[in-house]
Amino acid sequence: MNSIKVSFRLNRKTVDLVVDSRESLLDVLRERLDTTGAKKGCDQGQCGACTVHIDGRRVVSCLTPAVQVAGREVTTIEGVAGPDGELHPLQQAFIDNDALQCGYCTPGQIMSGLACIKEGHTTDDAEIREYMSGNLCRCGCYVGVVAAVRETARKEAGR
Amino acid sequence: MNVSRRKFLAGTAAVTTAATAAVVATPHDGDAASGPPPSRRVDAREKVTGDLRYASDRLLPGTAHAVYAVATIGKGRLLEVNTKAAEAAPGVRLVLTRVDVKPPGFLQGGGHAFQSLQPLTSDRIAYRGQHIALVVADSLHAATEAAALITARYEAEPIAVEIDAPGAQKVRQSDVLPTAHDVVAGNAPSAFAAAPVKIDHEYESPQSHPVPMELIASVVQWDGDDLTIYEGTQNASAVQNGLALQLGISPERIEVLSPSVGGAFGQKNSLQTHLAPVAVAARRLGRPIKVVVPRTQTFHNASFRPASHHRIRLGADRSGRMLAAMHDVDQQTSRHDYFPAVYTELTSRLYGITNYGSQQNLVRTDVQTPGFMRAPYESPGTFAFESAVDELSYALGKDPVALRLANDTAVDPISGHPFSSRYLADTLRRGSRKFGWSERSAAPGSMRGRDGSLIGWGVAAGAYKAATAPATARLRLIPAGRTYHATIWVDGHEMGQGIRSAVARLVAEDLQLRLEHIEVGVGDTRGVPPQHLTAGSWGTATALPAVYAALKELRKKLGLGAKGPVPSGRGETIVLARSRAPGQPEAIHDRAAQGLPAGAGPEYPEFTAFSFVSHFVEVRVEPTTRRIRVPRVVSTVDCGKVASPRTAESQVRGGVIWGIGAALRERSEVDERFGGFANPTLEEYVVPVNADIGRIDVGLIDKPDFNLNPVGVKGLGEVVMVGVAAAVANAVFHATGRRVRHLPIRLEDVL
Ligand code: FES
Ligand code: FES
Repeated sequence: MNSIKVSFRLNRKTVDLVVDSRESLLDVLRERLDTTGAKKGCDQGQCGACTVHIDGRRVVSCLTPAVQVAGREVTTIEGVAGPDGELHPLQQAFIDNDALQCGYCTPGQIMSGLACIKEGHTTDDAEIREYMSGNLCRCGCYVGVVAAVRETARKEAGR
Repeated sequence: MNVSRRKFLAGTAAVTTAATAAVVATPHDGDAASGPPPSRRVDAREKVTGDLRYASDRLLPGTAHAVYAVATIGKGRLLEVNTKAAEAAPGVRLVLTRVDVKPPGFLQGGGHAFQSLQPLTSDRIAYRGQHIALVVADSLHAATEAAALITARYEAEPIAVEIDAPGAQKVRQSDVLPTAHDVVAGNAPSAFAAAPVKIDHEYESPQSHPVPMELIASVVQWDGDDLTIYEGTQNASAVQNGLALQLGISPERIEVLSPSVGGAFGQKNSLQTHLAPVAVAARRLGRPIKVVVPRTQTFHNASFRPASHHRIRLGADRSGRMLAAMHDVDQQTSRHDYFPAVYTELTSRLYGITNYGSQQNLVRTDVQTPGFMRAPYESPGTFAFESAVDELSYALGKDPVALRLANDTAVDPISGHPFSSRYLADTLRRGSRKFGWSERSAAPGSMRGRDGSLIGWGVAAGAYKAATAPATARLRLIPAGRTYHATIWVDGHEMGQGIRSAVARLVAEDLQLRLEHIEVGVGDTRGVPPQHLTAGSWGTATALPAVYAALKELRKKLGLGAKGPVPSGRGETIVLARSRAPGQPEAIHDRAAQGLPAGAGPEYPEFTAFSFVSHFVEVRVEPTTRRIRVPRVVSTVDCGKVASPRTAESQVRGGVIWGIGAALRERSEVDERFGGFANPTLEEYVVPVNADIGRIDVGLIDKPDFNLNPVGVKGLGEVVMVGVAAAVANAVFHATGRRVRHLPIRLEDVL
């Protein structure tokens, strides 16, 4: 056990915190910082519910030691909408395509979807499906998820 | 911060009286919005922003974290638990190996829990993975590490985990559960013997796990003698009443808050056994405790779908009229509870077969008690039955859709009563048109894709009882500028199926209010007790009639006609209303209030009620790898009136995906040397992922069933899964000529 001081950016704000070397980023977000948008579905890197961005890249926060984010920029679902609450087009597309039911996997799906679009893995539905397959949805909203990602990618490409 | 239940009840009575006195008729000012309300998911925004708080998203000041240690033998006696190292670990506040609580009682045996066995109350180990000690620490990582330091000595006993393992004990269900009798009509054995065309095969469905994405979790907080439980559950009243019995306190001291559940699928339908020891620990520590059951532990400390073996015998004449059916079942249960087998309730009524026989057996094995995973009986039961019907179609040389249509019935062959509504034939006709079924070439292996893959087209029908339960609704209307704000509390739980959206839409339609002005409270014992079990696909068909009754009551109280908006100028008005299933006595509300299951159906005094579905499935079997893909499915459902089209369509797709999972992926593996389940992670217990799913075309018949309730709704959440696995298996046969009679179907089955 080791206590380590870390400083990082969380959703555009600076966080200074002493963390235990055993603590995952997910647990620090949820249990220390009351930032509970990222969900725990397995704690083993197998479901994607805890997906967040570190320096713009998607990671499963349950397998990311909190100490590793020192000096980095962490974005969670709470940091996706505009400051006035204006939804990101992908969030709106999730609503429009009803790409959710219970909503538990949804923050992770959206964080993955944003990265999937940025990575350019949206050539066709098959590619979207492949690159969104790290995010399980037990409610079975996959058709809507693909539609939301496709629609948003097309819109962004057209801009 | 606790609102006591007594206070709430007294308050309601007072406010209701006052509101009655305040009602004064005012003329209609034509101010409110009109037109049909839009269909949308009313809680979608909070779900895409991460603002929605599920149970384990509560972070209360001073929270301690609890983690259980588990048994590492398959069965036996616990001789000693060594907690020394755990107790000495930094941050640990409490380690419990025994708690003084009463066993909770089995849900199907007059109790409140998924099983009667309560860990930490005796030295008995009934299954691998059973909780043996509870560690509470200041942080989650401290509790997790300390729990791993706990060791135990055991006296192991021989085990039998799987349904066909030596040592599993088979009993006839009717001998041990006097209320469960085998469905019999006419004389099936002799009609079968005399039938010119016969099918007689056995089919196997494996044990499997629901794995809702939200882990099983609770946040437990005492405030003096009052206890608040935040837990994702489908049954807040069972948690409340069951826990009260376990702790020996009044249920009025406990509130259960489960406003949004992150998926449940039957696994959260009752009191879980992780809860009582945590409540004891929280009281002792004087701190709130959060417990999040790790994914692996949810495979052993919560319910699952039991394995079942089915023998189906079908007898038909050469024209395709089914003359006799026999459906015998062996279903797994635990040693400590008899989880009932109710497979034949549906297969006896799917067609108009007048000679029907069945025998259902229970097989006692060394597992936690199985339970009601989505379409618990109907999915495995129709995999067997609808596979057999497909086999019959080939034996007869008849088209499988035509065969099903020829055996449709308007009358329940078991009770002799009419169906409340039955559009199975419509679902088959509409589905076959959309799918392009007429293009199918009947011979197995006769259709190929351009890449050489084998194409198979399969069909199956399904149904699910249209159950109903008693419910209570409380409606409050308050003026809000030129319009009104309505708050409706109703008996029900939101697990993602969209009950909140369906309720809001009904209120919006009736009062001609905008959805933004409607707030729906479900799953909260403080809102309107009881919060009876939401399961068996009765949620919408139970909540909406209560809401409907509340709306009628409101109109009466305000002196309004049957339709139209509420004229402006009315003061705050509160009404309370109740509804129950056709034929249920008033006393059924008391049963629900005690947190006991109180659903009814499919047999009602004057009719039999089911929802119906048909699935048309295309599979492609890749020529070299033999990988089986499902590029498209056409599913058409008769669920009565569609209460919430938007959420309904998603529910259908979800159910189809569950069926594909059952058909091609899911099985909880067992190693008889060790016990328990050997693949208890989301990596090894394989559920469908995005890349597994192609097109799913949803059709909704949308014909109201006013026999069942005044809103015309029947259930949807489970019927949508029923028959999918059979349709996939039938498609695999059509593609390959291989009749696979077990699930899941894996590529080794079609090599
Ligand atoms: S919780 Fe991190 S991948 Fe499942
Ligand atoms: S919406 Fe429930 S798990 Fe995806």
